[in-house]
Amino acid sequence: MNHLLNIVRKELKELMTIGSFVSVLIMMFVFMGAGSMMGDQGESITSPSDIGFINGDGGLWADRTEEFLISIYVDTYGISEEEARGFVKVMDIPLDDGAAIVEGMRSLGLDAAIAVGPGYSSNLDNGIRAVISEYYIFTNPGLLGSAGSSITSLMIGEISDRISQALVSEIADPDLTPFLLSPIKGTDAHTYIDGELHSGVRPLDISMGVMNQTLMVPVVIMMVIMMIGSIVISSMGNEKENKTLETLLTMPVGRTVIVTGKILSAAIMGLVYGIMYMVGMMFYSKGMTDIGGLGGSSPADLGLALGPVDWLIVGTMVFLAIFCALGLCMILGAFAKNYKAAQTMTVPISVLAIIPMLLNMFASWGSLPTAIQIPLFIIPFTHPMMVMQNLMFGNTAVVLAGMAYLALFAMLTIFITVKVYKSDILLTGIGQTKLAKAFAGKRIR
Amino acid sequence: MDALTVEDVHKVYGDREAVKGIDFSVRTGEIFGLIGPNGAGKTSTLRMMSTLLRITSGRITVCGHDVATESDEVRKIISYLPEDAGAYKDLTGRAYLKFMAGFFADGAEAEKMVAYGMEMADLGDRIDSKVDTYSKGMMRRLLIARAIMPAPKVAIMDEVTSGLDVINAFEIRKIIRKISEQGVTVIISSHNMFEVDMLCDRVAMINDGRTVLCGTPGELKERFNASNLEEVFVKAVKG
Repeated sequence: MNHLLNIVRKELKELMTIGSFVSVLIMMFVFMGAGSMMGDQGESITSPSDIGFINGDGGLWADRTEEFLISIYVDTYGISEEEARGFVKVMDIPLDDGAAIVEGMRSLGLDAAIAVGPGYSSNLDNGIRAVISEYYIFTNPGLLGSAGSSITSLMIGEISDRISQALVSEIADPDLTPFLLSPIKGTDAHTYIDGELHSGVRPLDISMGVMNQTLMVPVVIMMVIMMIGSIVISSMGNEKENKTLETLLTMPVGRTVIVTGKILSAAIMGLVYGIMYMVGMMFYSKGMTDIGGLGGSSPADLGLALGPVDWLIVGTMVFLAIFCALGLCMILGAFAKNYKAAQTMTVPISVLAIIPMLLNMFASWGSLPTAIQIPLFIIPFTHPMMVMQNLMFGNTAVVLAGMAYLALFAMLTIFITVKVYKSDILLTGIGQTKLAKAFAGKRIR
Repeated sequence: MDALTVEDVHKVYGDREAVKGIDFSVRTGEIFGLIGPNGAGKTSTLRMMSTLLRITSGRITVCGHDVATESDEVRKIISYLPEDAGAYKDLTGRAYLKFMAGFFADGAEAEKMVAYGMEMADLGDRIDSKVDTYSKGMMRRLLIARAIMPAPKVAIMDEVTSGLDVINAFEIRKIIRKISEQGVTVIISSHNMFEVDMLCDRVAMINDGRTVLCGTPGELKERFNASNLEEVFVKAVKG
């Protein structure tokens, strides 16, 4: 037989285990799920949604602006004029009363509204650029959801173009060319957030700002969990391979002490890694913020900054999550017969860390459907990854429930680890059980 | 008083019974050999004696303490040396002995224990080298030193000279005889029946998870009219 073929066949036989395929399949489903979720979010952005229109001017151009808005809905979404009129909700609210605008938007279930104020028509008639204001209610729908605010801005741009075309056909004054090309200043944005109407920001700016501040924690947590997970599981594999574990287990010391000692030392390493990564990520984040336009709005300027108690909660959550990860790793490591087997055991931990991190990048807790929230809640690493956003937007119940769950999960994993350390599995692995024989040992044929 | 008793011990892994009924007892200060072919159940029996594996049925006592119900007490008086055991590779020989001594004593007593361990290991300057630079013989001497430095009442050693050259195996056997003279009960397992013949006061022969014979090498050889234990074993198993 060809020597190369002989070696390849032997290597493939060793590598193609059910376990390795399951790991890859899980990762495939994770990415498929994330892609599908992003697709759903994208679909919700590209489908027509209600928009408010406040006419504070009453002039001809204000009426035409409303008509342009309706025609943009017709052209963009391919719907009838009648359907388009259903999406444009005309609101009769004075523009100097921000609270009334927000209240009016809320009562109509609107996230966005545009408004033209007094002098709008006369400005356009007199060759002066007019202003269309944007109003948003920020509901923390995540980065993808917030992208909807860009569509409103684009619509204002389109309105400006249509007004420009109308003006050009009516006025033929070369001195007014700059005005005719861009008759609307669409930069007057207001966003209602956490009880206050902030000027000069849109939801997407806020989401980007929040993400810049909060993305660091999930990434660091994911990296720390993957790293310490690998260290702990590999160390267990090494201990078994070198039989140092057998010696250790015959020492006159309780199994609880051995488990706690191993977890505590790995947790300290995890914290050290976490701090080091955090420092690096802070520089990265600062660099990103310094690049114009990528920084978004500062959450602190919008009253979303975290206080000392919030940071204490974040720290506690991270510490508990590390404990949970280590508990899981110790349990998985107990089943690893040697160093090589230990390497594949790290996959479930990595998957559990990647899922919430990916979701956290594109969506917020509140924007997720219950069917996703439930499995996400069960994954312990979700809670420290989403805690900053949840604290910023006042989801205290989710934070407290998550903390209680993490504490319970950590205790449970340590309890199970001690049980495993007291059992034969630690030395014999699962290779001796009927279940293991039916599953783990089988190779793909 | 017997240092160790094993009464009708069974061990089942999943649907496989590895130990199907083993009985023997070891007197205080004896060097006792557990012999049999690979897969006979020697390691499982030693692991049950050392509190590492649960006993499926039967009873084992060490110096009167039940292994199943008084495992903490048993661990205080035994030392177990697994087959092909290693030490923590990033530690030096001295640091490894210190780490292990820490489980038995503190302060001056622990220092004394380490000094005794270093003397037994007899590694010279290499005691301060990292363990992963040790040869197999040096590693085994370090591990034996670790096993005997806390002065256990019972030392359990699995295939203690397996894979060692003649000189190293000879040195290890010398150490085992020495600690036995100091009153430590030693139980060794081996599939090398010549070694057991030379070293052990009494032996138990195990085959297919069961005790086949038990006695002094001399008695067994006389009973089966054999010149060595290997011959005894073959005659006992094949009839």
